[in-house]
Amino acid sequence: MGGVHDIGGSPGGPIDRGQHEVEDWERLADAINGALGAKGLQSTDQHRRAIESLAEYRDLSYYERWVAATEKLLVEKGVLSSDEIDERAAEIQRRWNGP
Amino acid sequence: MSNHHPHEETGGTTSPYAARIRAIEALLLEKGVLTEPEVQDSISYMEARSPANGAKLVARAWVDEDFKELLLSDGKAAASELGMDPEHPAEFVVVENTPEVHNLIVCTLCSCYPRAILGRPPDWYKSFAYRSRAVREPRAVMREFGFEPPEGVEVLVHDSTADVRYLVLPMRPPATEDLSEEELAGLVTRDSLVGVNVPRAPARTG
Amino acid sequence: MTFEPGDRVRVLPAEKPGHVRTPDYVKRKAGWVEAVVGAFPNPEELAYGLSGLPERPLYRVGFLQIDLWDDYTGPAEDHLYADIYEHWLEPERGTT
Repeated sequence: MGGVHDIGGSPGGPIDRGQHEVEDWERLADAINGALGAKGLQSTDQHRRAIESLAEYRDLSYYERWVAATEKLLVEKGVLSSDEIDERAAEIQRRWNGP
Repeated sequence: MSNHHPHEETGGTTSPYAARIRAIEALLLEKGVLTEPEVQDSISYMEARSPANGAKLVARAWVDEDFKELLLSDGKAAASELGMDPEHPAEFVVVENTPEVHNLIVCTLCSCYPRAILGRPPDWYKSFAYRSRAVREPRAVMREFGFEPPEGVEVLVHDSTADVRYLVLPMRPPATEDLSEEELAGLVTRDSLVGVNVPRAPARTG
Repeated sequence: MTFEPGDRVRVLPAEKPGHVRTPDYVKRKAGWVEAVVGAFPNPEELAYGLSGLPERPLYRVGFLQIDLWDDYTGPAEDHLYADIYEHWLEPERGTT
C-alpha cells in the first residue's frame, strides 16, 4: 500500500468549503520554506518526503505538517537541534501566555 | 526586527507549531542561515500572488486568439508576457475546457498548485476529502460546488503527480461580447481555475 | 524515450520504500501515453538530497475512469491523466 499521504481514491466525506484566515505563523511557515528553498538549503522533493514520513500526518493541519517537516530537515542536515528548537519554542510560548 | 507577530502575541489560541516556527525563524536568523530581508522577500513573494493573475491570463486568452494559443502551448511564456513570474523548474500547463471536455485539477499526493501564479491554494483543495475524492468521483465533487457539466461533456481529471502545475482555461460565458477585458477577468473565479465549477455569468442589466 | 504518444502502457505494481510520485490507485492499471512531458531528475532521489541524475523521461498517461474504479458511476468517456515516470511503466501488449 502507498504511504499515509497516498490517498487518491480513498473514502472521503463532504468537502468543507470554508476558508480560515491564514495566520501569521502559517505565512511564516510558508516564507521560511521558500527562503530555505531559494538558497538551495532544502528542495521541494526533500520537504515532501519529510512531510510524508510524519507519524502524525493525519492529525496535523497543512501548515503544521510544513513546520514539522521543515524542522525534520533542519535537524537532519545538522543546521539546528531539536533541543534548541524545544527550548526556544517554550520560551516564546511562555512570553505569549503572559505573566 | 520582524513585525509579523501580532496575532499570536494577543494570546489567541493557536497551534503549538506557531511557537515552533517562530523558534526556528529566530534560531536561523541568529545563526546567519537566513537574513531578515530574505524572510521578508519570501513573505512578499507569496502576498504578491493571487487568483487575479489567473483571471488575467484567462481574460486575455478569451479576447486574443494568439495569446490563447501561446497559453495552451507554453504556459510559462504566456504568464511572463503578462508580467508574471512562473517559477522554475516546475512546468506550468494550461488545459482548456471545451464543449466536449471539462477539466478538473487535483494533487492527490500533497496539494501541488500553481502557487507562483495564483498564490496559496484554498483550504478545500488541500483537504483529505478533496484529494481522495476528486480522482474517483469528480462529478460528485463538482456537484458539491454547485456545478454539473452539461449532458455529453466528458470530465477529465489531472492529478499533478510530478512537477507540472495545472490551470484550467474555462470557456467564456455566453452574452459577454460587450464586456471589457477587465470585466471578463472579474467573472473568473479561483474555483473555476481549478475546475470545480465555471466562471460567473455576467450581471444582468435592468 | 522508450514510449511515444498513443502507446498502451501499464503501471508497475512495485512497492518502493521512500518517496515516490506514482500513486497507488494507478498501479497495475493499463492506460495510454497521452504526451511526453520531458525528462527530469528523479524525484525519488532528489527527496534524499541526491542529484537524481540521469534525468528520467516523464509521461502524461491517460486512464479511463471505468478502468481505475470498479464503482465509477460517470460516463465511460470520463478519463484521468497522471504524470508518471518511465521507470514505472511497461508496455501493454494486445487488447484487454
